[in-house]
Amino acid sequence: MNLEEFFPHARPWVENLVNVWPTPIVKPQFAWWEVAHVVSLITLGGTSILMNLRLIGVGLTQEPPSELYRSLKLWQTIGIVGIVVTGVLIGMANAERLYDSAAFIVKMLALVAGIVLTYGASRPVAKADGSVSVASKIWFVIGMAFWLAGLWVFATGDLISPGVFHIITAAALIVLFAVRGRARLVYLGVLIPMIVLQFVWTHFIVKPDDYEHLNPVNIGFAWAFSAWIVGTGLFQLFRAGRGADGGPLTKVIGYAAILVWVTAAAAGRWIAFA
Amino acid sequence: MIREFLVWLQNDLGKGAGDTAQSWSEALLGSLNFWGLLEGTHLLALMLFAGTILVVDLRLLGVTFRRTKVSVVSDTILPLTVFGFLFVVVTGLGLFFAKPVFYYHNIWFRLKMIMLALALLNILVFHGRIQRSQGAWDSLPKPPGGVRAAAAMSLSAWLVVITFGRLIAYDWFECGKPQPAFINWAEECAISEKGAVPMAPEAGQPK
Repeated sequence: MNLEEFFPHARPWVENLVNVWPTPIVKPQFAWWEVAHVVSLITLGGTSILMNLRLIGVGLTQEPPSELYRSLKLWQTIGIVGIVVTGVLIGMANAERLYDSAAFIVKMLALVAGIVLTYGASRPVAKADGSVSVASKIWFVIGMAFWLAGLWVFATGDLISPGVFHIITAAALIVLFAVRGRARLVYLGVLIPMIVLQFVWTHFIVKPDDYEHLNPVNIGFAWAFSAWIVGTGLFQLFRAGRGADGGPLTKVIGYAAILVWVTAAAAGRWIAFA
Repeated sequence: MIREFLVWLQNDLGKGAGDTAQSWSEALLGSLNFWGLLEGTHLLALMLFAGTILVVDLRLLGVTFRRTKVSVVSDTILPLTVFGFLFVVVTGLGLFFAKPVFYYHNIWFRLKMIMLALALLNILVFHGRIQRSQGAWDSLPKPPGGVRAAAAMSLSAWLVVITFGRLIAYDWFECGKPQPAFINWAEECAISEKGAVPMAPEAGQPK
């Protein structure tokens, strides 16, 4: 799936973007715009991780979520505006490649989902110290729809589907931080053998270059990892119940608002690979 | 001597018998998905590592979390930073292992390593000297000038490390291309496979 499938007649316009202002100015300094894009991603990453970990109930728990919102909102917006502005400029200079890229579709869906989840759900919920309004619930559903659509394209796209393991890894690490005590040991006690089993299966039982047989094995493991991680995450959400800083939905919003940006960043990298 | 070791690492380590056998380094670079996963994870880990450093440094600069003690911000966030750093280092070593000779002769990689050492030195100076007096400024919305200067240095150093890291992908100063003598010297192009090619003197200039 790529933009050409949706807009087959747009190719001449896409090809001409390289001549449209400000691309002729951007192109000679392409590397520096890429640096600015990465720095914006880092700014967004740090602020979103901290604000949303707090919604999950970990990280800077000495302060209420509203304090994190107050302290981080400006920097998070700088990060988001930065990735959009530099992304548009880089994209115009590289338009033909993006037109043919499935990973670009994932990135755009995750970007829309990220903006909706951040401004519609995560930030209002943090501002209200974990309380989820009706409006936030609606924005959450809309954002999740875009994100899940992006995940589906990522998971089913030719040559880009391995990128889904970035999101699975990030989710696994967030759950690792969120679960405590014996639940963490049980979580790791299953997760680590699964990782070892996947390595053994995809290196010794099936040869690493036997892609025909490797693909279904890796898809199976992706499902198994996802089920275990999501299952443990849900167990932690409902066992913790409703606390002073919100209930299970608050935490789900926290998880989603981190992972959606992980998806956008990972998809951006896979544009270069496939 | 370092170069010989890296050549061995790239071409010989793990290489089996036969004409088509690959070394581990070549296998990693040629892998359909693993190299991509490694590079993607490097960027994502950087978002965690540098993103959390940014927040701590902004607090030290007195720009954000002004009502929260510095110790609360740093003690809570820095474990995440260290965790991110471990991922950055492990994935970075993996990426280096895939093309060690290329990185050895790359000026941006060399500059990145120098800046990385300076950034780590700055952390040591901060913990060894500046943090000793933390009790006096821990609750201040805006810490003293020396603390803010260390935070500004930290932010600048990491920004430069990230910039040099991104520029590694560009072949502006690749050995084998005509370039100034200083660049050929800094990259040790003379002992590289492509050699050192001096810049041709411009027309009208003495040879």
